[in-house]
Amino acid sequence: MSRLYGDPIEVWTRDGEPTQFVWRDRLYLVRRILDHWVVTREWWKTGEGDPGERRFWRVEASPGREVGTYELRFDTAGGGWLLLRAWD
Amino acid sequence: MTAFPHLHVASAYSMRYGVAFPSALVARAAELGMDILALTDRDGLYGAVKHAQACADAGIRPVFGVDLALDASDLGPGTSGFGSGTPGFGLDTPGLMSGTSGLGPGTPGPAASRPRTGPDSRDRVTVLARSGGWARLCRLVTAAHLTAGRGSPRITPDLLATFLSGLGRGEFGDDDGLVVMLGPRSDVGRAVAERRDHHARALLARWKSIAPVVVEVVDQYGYRDASTAVRMLALADELGVPAVLTNAVRYLNPADHQVGDVLDAARRLVPLHPRHLDRATSHAYLKSTKEMWQVARKVCGADEHRVARLLHTTRRLAEACATDPRKVLALRAGRLYLPEMDEDPVPLLRDRCHEGLRRRGLHRDPEARRRLEEELRIIEGKRLSGYFVAVSGITGLIRGMGVRCAIRGSGAGSLVNYLIRIGEVNPLDHGLLMERFLSEGRIGLPDIDLDVESARRLEVYRAVFDRYGEARVACVSMMETYRARSAIRDVGAAMGLPPHEIDAIAKAFPHIRARQITASLRDLPELRESRLGEAGLERVFRLAERLDGLPRHIALHPCGVLVGNAGLRDVTPVERSLLDFPMSQFDKDDVEEAGLLKLDVLGVRMQSAMAHALGEIERVDGVTVELDAQRGDDPGVQYVPHDDQETYDMICAGRTIGCFQIESPGQRELVAKLEPRTMHDLIVDISLFRPGPVNSDMVTPYLEARHGWRMPSYPHERLRDALRETHGVVVFHEQVLKIIQVMTGRDLSFAEKLRRTLETPQGRQRVRRTFVPMARAQGFGREEVERAWQVLDAFGAFGFCKAHAAAFALPTYQSAWLKRHHTAAFFAGVLTHEPGMYPQRVIVDEARRCGVVILPLDVNRSGRHWQVERLTPEPPMRVRVRASDLGPERGAERRAFRPEEMGRGYALRVPFSAVKGISEAEVDRMVAGRPYTSLADFWDRARPSRPIMERIVRVGGFDALHGLRPGDGGPRWRPGRLTRRDLLARVGALDRGPAGGAGAAQIPLGFAERIEPGELPEMTETEMVEAELDVLGIDLTRHVVTFHDELLDALGVVRARDLPARRNGARVLVAGVKVATQTPAVRSGQRVVFVTLDDSTGPVDLTFFESAQGRCASTVFGSWLLVARGVIRRTGARAVSLRALDCWNLADLDRLYRERGADAVRALLDREPEEAGGVGGRRIEYPNGFLLSPYSDLGPAIVTPPRRLWHASPGSSGPTAA
Repeated sequence: MSRLYGDPIEVWTRDGEPTQFVWRDRLYLVRRILDHWVVTREWWKTGEGDPGERRFWRVEASPGREVGTYELRFDTAGGGWLLLRAWD
Repeated sequence: MTAFPHLHVASAYSMRYGVAFPSALVARAAELGMDILALTDRDGLYGAVKHAQACADAGIRPVFGVDLALDASDLGPGTSGFGSGTPGFGLDTPGLMSGTSGLGPGTPGPAASRPRTGPDSRDRVTVLARSGGWARLCRLVTAAHLTAGRGSPRITPDLLATFLSGLGRGEFGDDDGLVVMLGPRSDVGRAVAERRDHHARALLARWKSIAPVVVEVVDQYGYRDASTAVRMLALADELGVPAVLTNAVRYLNPADHQVGDVLDAARRLVPLHPRHLDRATSHAYLKSTKEMWQVARKVCGADEHRVARLLHTTRRLAEACATDPRKVLALRAGRLYLPEMDEDPVPLLRDRCHEGLRRRGLHRDPEARRRLEEELRIIEGKRLSGYFVAVSGITGLIRGMGVRCAIRGSGAGSLVNYLIRIGEVNPLDHGLLMERFLSEGRIGLPDIDLDVESARRLEVYRAVFDRYGEARVACVSMMETYRARSAIRDVGAAMGLPPHEIDAIAKAFPHIRARQITASLRDLPELRESRLGEAGLERVFRLAERLDGLPRHIALHPCGVLVGNAGLRDVTPVERSLLDFPMSQFDKDDVEEAGLLKLDVLGVRMQSAMAHALGEIERVDGVTVELDAQRGDDPGVQYVPHDDQETYDMICAGRTIGCFQIESPGQRELVAKLEPRTMHDLIVDISLFRPGPVNSDMVTPYLEARHGWRMPSYPHERLRDALRETHGVVVFHEQVLKIIQVMTGRDLSFAEKLRRTLETPQGRQRVRRTFVPMARAQGFGREEVERAWQVLDAFGAFGFCKAHAAAFALPTYQSAWLKRHHTAAFFAGVLTHEPGMYPQRVIVDEARRCGVVILPLDVNRSGRHWQVERLTPEPPMRVRVRASDLGPERGAERRAFRPEEMGRGYALRVPFSAVKGISEAEVDRMVAGRPYTSLADFWDRARPSRPIMERIVRVGGFDALHGLRPGDGGPRWRPGRLTRRDLLARVGALDRGPAGGAGAAQIPLGFAERIEPGELPEMTETEMVEAELDVLGIDLTRHVVTFHDELLDALGVVRARDLPARRNGARVLVAGVKVATQTPAVRSGQRVVFVTLDDSTGPVDLTFFESAQGRCASTVFGSWLLVARGVIRRTGARAVSLRALDCWNLADLDRLYRERGADAVRALLDREPEEAGGVGGRRIEYPNGFLLSPYSDLGPAIVTPPRRLWHASPGSSGPTAA
């Protein structure tokens, strides 16, 4: 069962892919990328300068020994990351 | 990591789909280190030649393919299909159905209905040509277009199968075959996405049985992309079908997706909405090898082995399809596709040329024989004899149809063309060189351009197709691209703006490029005044700018015809044009690169106009005019010598309105200054009126030397021969060749090669490095070489080919000759075919000033087209003595030129076709039914629609029949007499009454013809002219300006007739109807607006410089009747033009005059003009210092009053931008 969060988080990337992130003061290492997709919003309705793209990553990551699944979202307009959901 | 080959790439030539040009895609691929790149545009091979060129230049191996829509190929019932209500899709392919009968009705799957838009609206497959499969690909594309409706090509698996010779041997079939890629958009892909595995398997098995197929795996990071890709891969493995990876590339950069979305909406005529878009994400761009590897890893999960296999298969397919670009670029490989001949064309052409020498009376001329040998040597060396024979056959065919035909362009420089009757210009008469047309050093094919009567151009095309067969001949196409107006329309519609607002916004812009939109809002006074820039449309404008130059749709090129052999369709794909002609998908540059011979057959309205005039002369006067013969023996025939001084008198007086090439205000000014007296003078005149000579400031020195005010100067004594004909000024390309020839000591072919290189700035640098040392080696001094070089440098890409000018000068002279000697017939031709830049009412006015009477519409006398009527029963005395028969002393006694006498004794009758909105069928019936006995008779037999009937009454078509005389100065109320209003009322009665209904019982005419006279008042003169302007677009009864005479006299406005008598520099007021507006390229780099007003006494030419445009531009472009203040500038003996200072809308002044009197108007005119800023925009600077306004040479933005009152036809002369 997943839980919804929507917390702003800090993410490190390599070749555009997330490798580790900090959520609620804990460092998570990304073990495996399960899925990655992009959603484009209706840019003609949004403000200027917003490409309106959101990149989603579903990853297996662990803050220690226990492994959980997390969904991360990157907003190209604001350049910020959110942790959307967690299955842990 | 080996370079990834992209095998599915759409360029901008996927019309209203792709956004990047092939050259940009190839450049990006080269940057990314790729060695193979495919181009698989939607629906055609429009960009194939450009892709091949870019690949050849970048050292990349091209792959060619096409992305085609799949016709309904659904298997069995229960699967999704096109809605039964959709017409045209009902024809399922029977072969396919029978082939899949084994599947039966048990096929599972939801019966989802097809959306009208969006990616699922139609299945598409990509077909790649194997290395040797170009010919098959061309034929497949042609078949896809010809079997489906125009503009919506489709294939079926069966159609595809007919273009394959079975499955072939190798993994991807035979080397000259085709490979089908089935991706997520294919029927297979859709079944996979819908999770109908069984169905997908059946579809793929079916494909596999008829063609070499591969499964195309694509993941553009959309929500479901990855799962579909994984399942596609699994399906491929299960059936043992090779799987390849592509990115279905559509963009160059991710940011292009917005443009792509707008194009999706524009293509489907819907507003932007996610439902309508093809894309899911912005990832459909040309990704790098590493990015594609990431995609592969994503699709294959962690299975590195599978990743390697996927990429390896992709690579193998790319290798199997990669080809040498020169397979397409035949010209670079030295291959030509000439028409087949029954006999050896080499001796055939020789025989015809020698026969031509005798026929043209040149067989004793050693110069002609030597020239012929030289030309034949080059033609035979290039193996082009067959081409000349074929073209000669076509010109013979055209003339055999009785269609006027003239050669244009550099082809006039070839003696062979003259001898085998392709053209009528003798190059030896004018010192024309063949090298400009065809030379040894020149790579490329000769262009033969023919002008035929515009009204019969399509007839000519049909005859050519009939003679050679559609398999061998095709028309050339051209891409219509997005410009400001079309871009704003499409973006506006996509953004959901109301249609009428879109229309108003688009029309506010002149014909500029889309990328100039934002800048023009700032730069142009008339747009600044419109305040469009502040209307919150920034996003529309910015998106519209990004559509700049993208192909929008394909159209028939106005003149190109390909003449090939039976293999034509192996080298170019062909589709149907709107007029149902077979049309190559290549444009005029592409066909040359593809090694195909092209003939330009251009419809020229002036040729039609002259043909009409000749017909009228014969009909009315019984005189045959041999326009193309200077002399002959038949006494019943009038010949047209090229030295007729009466014709030149008219030209020198600037009375050239209506004539070919020399009727624009600028040309009228130039001919008046230049005073042409021979054909050669006309050739020079036409060549001088070009941006090149204007730019290099050749006009003034030439005129000064010509009139003997200045000694001609030559850069060097040895160049005197080359430059003597133009008094030391370089005017022609041919002279550039001769300069190079003399100074380098090389031949003309070499000179022509250098001249072509002069066309670009880099080229000029290269030529300089070659030319200067060579000339120095020939013993020319440093300074002389420098002087000569400066001439060449300035001449650069501009200048004019003398052969071209000579070809133009002939119809120019012929039209002037007709105007001078058969004035009425000439104007009948001009009014019927409208060859020039002026609206009809200007031509009518000019005809009147030449003494021709204009007669109103009369149902019993008017014809289909403008016709001449003789006013005197006997032909008036038209004593004409040939100038050559006169001694020089008699020539001096020639009568002074009196323009008003030229057309005396003749009249022109307004035709039925001039009535606004009349249909071809109505004209046919009206002409056939003449004579008529009454209004009702006409109504019954000609059966016009009621609005047309009323229009005919309003412009007096029944005046003569019913004895009406409106405008005779009589009272409005005329008791006991019929008026036009009575007739109009009668038309209403006829329409309602039993006699009017179609099929109603005919009432005997005598009973139907009871018209109560005098019930209604007669039309006033103003009403008559209004009706004439509305219905005919021509003010026949009175000139519109004369209605304002009172005001104009009160203001002291000077009439055109009186302007020449005013002193130079005087400030005057002028007024008139605006009849022409031009913004040509001029030397200073300003945007200069030339306006011609017509005030019933003649044309008034005004020049608005940028300083005046700030306050005048919107008035100038937005008004029809103008009053202007200007300074008189003398331009010739009898010619003046005005520099405009200010202008006003006459309609506004008139209102003020009626309300507040003349003093109020005077006060307004005297008010000090306020400054409103000039024209902005960065000047385009040419390397030799020539500046050009970015807004020069544009059509006007706003078309004001009634239709046809103010128009500009593209058929006319005017200067063109370099």
